[in-house]
Amino acid sequence: MSAQTATTPATVRPPEPGKTRATVGAIVLVVLVIGSGFLSNADWKELPSIFTEGWKYLYLMVKGLVQNPFAEPYSEYWSQALGGMLESISMAWIGTLIGAALSVPMGFLAARNVSHPVVVQATRVVLNFIRTLPELIFAIILLLPIFGFGANAGALALGIGAVGTLGKLTAEALEGIDPGPVEAARAAGAPRSAILRWTYWSQVLPEVLAFWLYRFEINIRASAILGVIGAGGIGSVLSQAFRYREWDFIGILLFVIIAVTVIVDSISGAVRHRIIAGGGADVKDADAERVVM
Amino acid sequence: MTVASASPAVTARPRRPAPSRFLIVRLVVAALITVWAGWEIQFTLAPLFTDFANGWVVVEQFLRPNWSFLGSTWTAWLETVSIAIIASFFGVAVGLVLAYMASTVTNRSTRIYRATKWFLSVLRSLPDVAYVLIFVALVGVGSLAGILALFIFNIGIAAKLTAETIDAVDAGPLEAADASGAGTFARARWAVQPQILPNFLSYALYIFELNIRASVVIGYAGGGGIGQLIQVQFARFNYENVSAVVISMFVVVLLIDQLSQYLRRRLV
Repeated sequence: MSAQTATTPATVRPPEPGKTRATVGAIVLVVLVIGSGFLSNADWKELPSIFTEGWKYLYLMVKGLVQNPFAEPYSEYWSQALGGMLESISMAWIGTLIGAALSVPMGFLAARNVSHPVVVQATRVVLNFIRTLPELIFAIILLLPIFGFGANAGALALGIGAVGTLGKLTAEALEGIDPGPVEAARAAGAPRSAILRWTYWSQVLPEVLAFWLYRFEINIRASAILGVIGAGGIGSVLSQAFRYREWDFIGILLFVIIAVTVIVDSISGAVRHRIIAGGGADVKDADAERVVM
Repeated sequence: MTVASASPAVTARPRRPAPSRFLIVRLVVAALITVWAGWEIQFTLAPLFTDFANGWVVVEQFLRPNWSFLGSTWTAWLETVSIAIIASFFGVAVGLVLAYMASTVTNRSTRIYRATKWFLSVLRSLPDVAYVLIFVALVGVGSLAGILALFIFNIGIAAKLTAETIDAVDAGPLEAADASGAGTFARARWAVQPQILPNFLSYALYIFELNIRASVVIGYAGGGGIGQLIQVQFARFNYENVSAVVISMFVVVLLIDQLSQYLRRRLV
């Protein structure tokens, strides 16, 4: 009897932690979402038409896809889609190279263990400014007036847009290096340029290469966005097709975008894993960078 | 004597390793791709020197922002933030469910797991602007198209990030749940969800930030909000107004980033 009463206090359930904060948070969130529903001026009445119209358009898109790709007009559609995608990939490649080339000096200037604190702060302000604005803004402000419409302007816009994130990631990689080789080179009397080249740059090179490849994957998607304002590539073809509501053509275009993006992503992803892990075990490298991008 | 002759051999510089043949092949391939890509897009920097004067007239207008225009951007900003809130909320909610289905930790059916993974990678491979174009065709120009496009786009990101977090959860609670006979849902809800919740909320905030950044693109393609305002002003050649909106965009994005970073630091 007494033993039973003694054990009861030990096995009694601990009091449940308060739920007030979670409840208040949930209520605030729901109010925000409902309020936004009204403030967004969305025409909610149109919502059902996704289901009524959607199937019709989906049917037309699939119909375009399954037609003989060597017969007119589908052969024309396929060659336009593949040509546009090639142009987009080229834009992404050149844009990534421009961004990479510019981001290396920016990265060194923005690394606390390389540059003077004042220079670091100034460079970081520039990088943050670039990172905040989407590529589209660079394209419409700086490039269209000077370079006109076309893939060349698009590639430059992608390049400028890439400097922000690539510069920041390079700087962070430089700050995370092992200081041992730096001390060794300094003790051996190496000049500053040699220290930067052989101790800093050698240590971050694999990581930085992986960032560049990752940015290339992002730029392929971004090049489609730039196409909508007339910067060439698959985006231009796609917005043209939507303007004329050529659903069979749209189906082919979307298929080409999805297929080529998945293929390029998997090649680039395999190369990135190989660079970071050296062909060894699978590593979870991309998580942190993806959040930063 | 023998010692002296031995020591130079020890301190002699090691021979420089020959450059790897594979490295050379790879560099040549990269160079070829670059040349081909540059030719494909007719890459040139020449307009920077030849057409700079023409372009500079426009750029100068951008350098004189019309501040008085900012007052009339208020409603467009409200629209953009509302679009982002709705799209993020429903996007991450659906994304969470798909994330449970896209992880072997919570999904015990290999077939459904593979199908979900495949579906998500297809979803992610289309850029946001393609979704806007699709929904503009379906529901017409306006913020509803923007909401739907961002909603679909957010599902892909939220599911991918959360699924990776689920893959990495501590197995202890899972074993405990299995040992006490929990079903698939109870297991996911009580053994996994408490572990991933802080990361998940932080992804939700990150996605909200992304949606604000994407608003220019969304509006440009017909999805409402601040982007539509920029597009209209740009089409009318009111570059001073565009410039004011861009600066307000910079400030808003910065403020939302700061707010979201503060909240994320408290969560994780």
